[in-house]
Amino acid sequence: MSVTALPMGGGHTGPGSDFAADAAVPPMLKTSGPSLWRRAKNRLAAVAVVAAVAVTAIPLVSMIWTAVARGSQRLDLALFTNSMYGVVGQGGGLLHALTGTVLITAATATISVPLGLAAAIYLTEYGRGQLAALTRRAVDVMVSIPSIVAGLAAYALFSMILGPGTRSGLAGAVALSIIMVPVVVRSSEEVLAMVPGDLREAGLALGAPRYRVIRRIVLPTALPGLTSGAVLGVARIIGETAPLLLVAGFTDAMNYNLADGRMATLPVFIYSQWSSKGLDAAAYDQRAWAGALVLMALVVVLQVLARALPPQIAKLRRNR
Amino acid sequence: MIGRMTKVAATATAAGMILAALAGCAANEETPGDGKGSGSPAAKLSGTIDGAGASSQSAAQEAWRGGFAKLQSDVVINYDPTGSGTGREQFTEGGVAFVGTDAPFSLDDVAAGFGSCADGSGLVEVPVYISPIVVAFNLDGITELNLAPKTIADIFLGKIAKWNDPAITADNPGVNLPDTNVAAVHRADKSGTTENFTDWLAANAKDAWPHEPAEEWPVSGGEAAEKTQGVVATVTSTPGAVGYVDAGQASGLGWAAIKVGGAWVSASPEGAAKAVGESSLQEGRADTDVVYDLNRTTEAAGAYPLILVSYLGACEKYKDAEQGKLVAGYFQYVTSEDGQAAAAANAGSAPLTSEEGLSAKVSSAVASIG
Repeated sequence: MSVTALPMGGGHTGPGSDFAADAAVPPMLKTSGPSLWRRAKNRLAAVAVVAAVAVTAIPLVSMIWTAVARGSQRLDLALFTNSMYGVVGQGGGLLHALTGTVLITAATATISVPLGLAAAIYLTEYGRGQLAALTRRAVDVMVSIPSIVAGLAAYALFSMILGPGTRSGLAGAVALSIIMVPVVVRSSEEVLAMVPGDLREAGLALGAPRYRVIRRIVLPTALPGLTSGAVLGVARIIGETAPLLLVAGFTDAMNYNLADGRMATLPVFIYSQWSSKGLDAAAYDQRAWAGALVLMALVVVLQVLARALPPQIAKLRRNR
Repeated sequence: MIGRMTKVAATATAAGMILAALAGCAANEETPGDGKGSGSPAAKLSGTIDGAGASSQSAAQEAWRGGFAKLQSDVVINYDPTGSGTGREQFTEGGVAFVGTDAPFSLDDVAAGFGSCADGSGLVEVPVYISPIVVAFNLDGITELNLAPKTIADIFLGKIAKWNDPAITADNPGVNLPDTNVAAVHRADKSGTTENFTDWLAANAKDAWPHEPAEEWPVSGGEAAEKTQGVVATVTSTPGAVGYVDAGQASGLGWAAIKVGGAWVSASPEGAAKAVGESSLQEGRADTDVVYDLNRTTEAAGAYPLILVSYLGACEKYKDAEQGKLVAGYFQYVTSEDGQAAAAANAGSAPLTSEEGLSAKVSSAVASIG
């Protein structure tokens, strides 16, 4: 990247503003155009910015590189067709964890998106006074809840209803929903607020009741943004480990039933492969890295979807 | 609106179908009931049981699950390596059907009863996992050192700062010890490994080690690391570091030989088994409650008394009889010769010794489950 590519701060070259800086520079160094001192300052700032970008990028690049290099050692077909049932040492796969992640994430989205969207509609369309302020405050607090606390809350809830030590995929989905709902509320509220008030007023002026204006005008207009928010919410929770470790537990075998029994997920799979190794430690490390690579790929796909989906949906709507 | 809904529904259906194809049965699992595992003489079982407890057992538990899956292909065993304390709590509450623990239940716990057990049921507790704990270090080019108990105590108390300290060089003639700083690494979490290590120190280095045996590391200072893997990772990445870990997890590091009687003994499954053989069973417990009083100060030749003995606990009678059958089947496999050999192969543990009628005691205790 070229350092000189940074634009000079035009428009802010009034004679008085740089007086102090000019005074600090010996007169013979002054040239026509921006002074040497100012150009040096500009260079310095540009270098600092580029360095900051590099420092931010280094861990990211190194992380991706490590995950690809180590994860690809076990990125074979068996990884996607096998569970860990009956596997000791070499071999095995993460199909059970991948299935668990897909099921739990789908269940989480099913709980969180309607709930979060409803709250956002309330806040943008109806919310006035105390209750709306309270809801906003609650969402703000919930956004910053540590994920392990969400896990404990779900654990306590399910233990109370179903007895101590209960673990299930559904409990995991509830824990993740506690994290995802505020994310959906935040993003949906922002998108809904961006729908022009003129559209609402036009609908109301034509005699449509409020709920119909929301259903036929506000929601369709905001749909691309709402979708992107929901997908980003999913990307936020798909890598959560601590709450799932606590409430969904871990198992070696396939489990398709969200309501009954422990269910493996990718993050917990990675953790358990790393934390309890047998004598042939390399086999466990390879599975853990392969799991990390698959999880990272999932997150990247979701991020791409969150960008690609909104224009697609908007196009669909226009062509309808 | 309707048109779009249809499109969305169609997309969702398509995505669902792809997922269903992707989430087909795992290639290594049978669908329940096709009875492929008919080679085993035992009755065909099916179902799921959950256990929790000592993380020291996790590699062995994996070997046992793998072996048991070959005998009973419709049974799923889950084991959460939550740590012994949490495991015992969960078992007492009735959250899990069996527990793995480095420290046996106290007699008070047994008297108070357990959540999953039928009223009046006793506790079955058997030793299943015997493993040497090794004092592992990271020194370039040195794979073996002799460290006396007092020296180890001083290292972990922070009193020895350099590897070429006279206390270490005196026991290691001919070894060229570097001028590297000693970094003693201990477990940050509560751990049975810590309890067994401090118990051994308290017994063998009385004058140097002022602390009681405890699951929580009693010394302030030093470097702390989470779980066995954390200690291994820290020692592996830090030149001059030393830690205490389960021998099965310490390959690739230097191992310290400890002084037993007058001789230097390295960690080995055989030495661990020998030390167990030199220990006696605790008295005052029920016949089904087979618990050791470890003899940390044995001077028998070849014995390695810095060991960890981990137990499995279960109910004699379960509220849910089906659970009882599964637990009984699993425990029988774990304590069998095959089960012990599987653990030795995957976790580097020592198989249960057949001395003094121990295996008879264990198998009669296990036979009482159901």
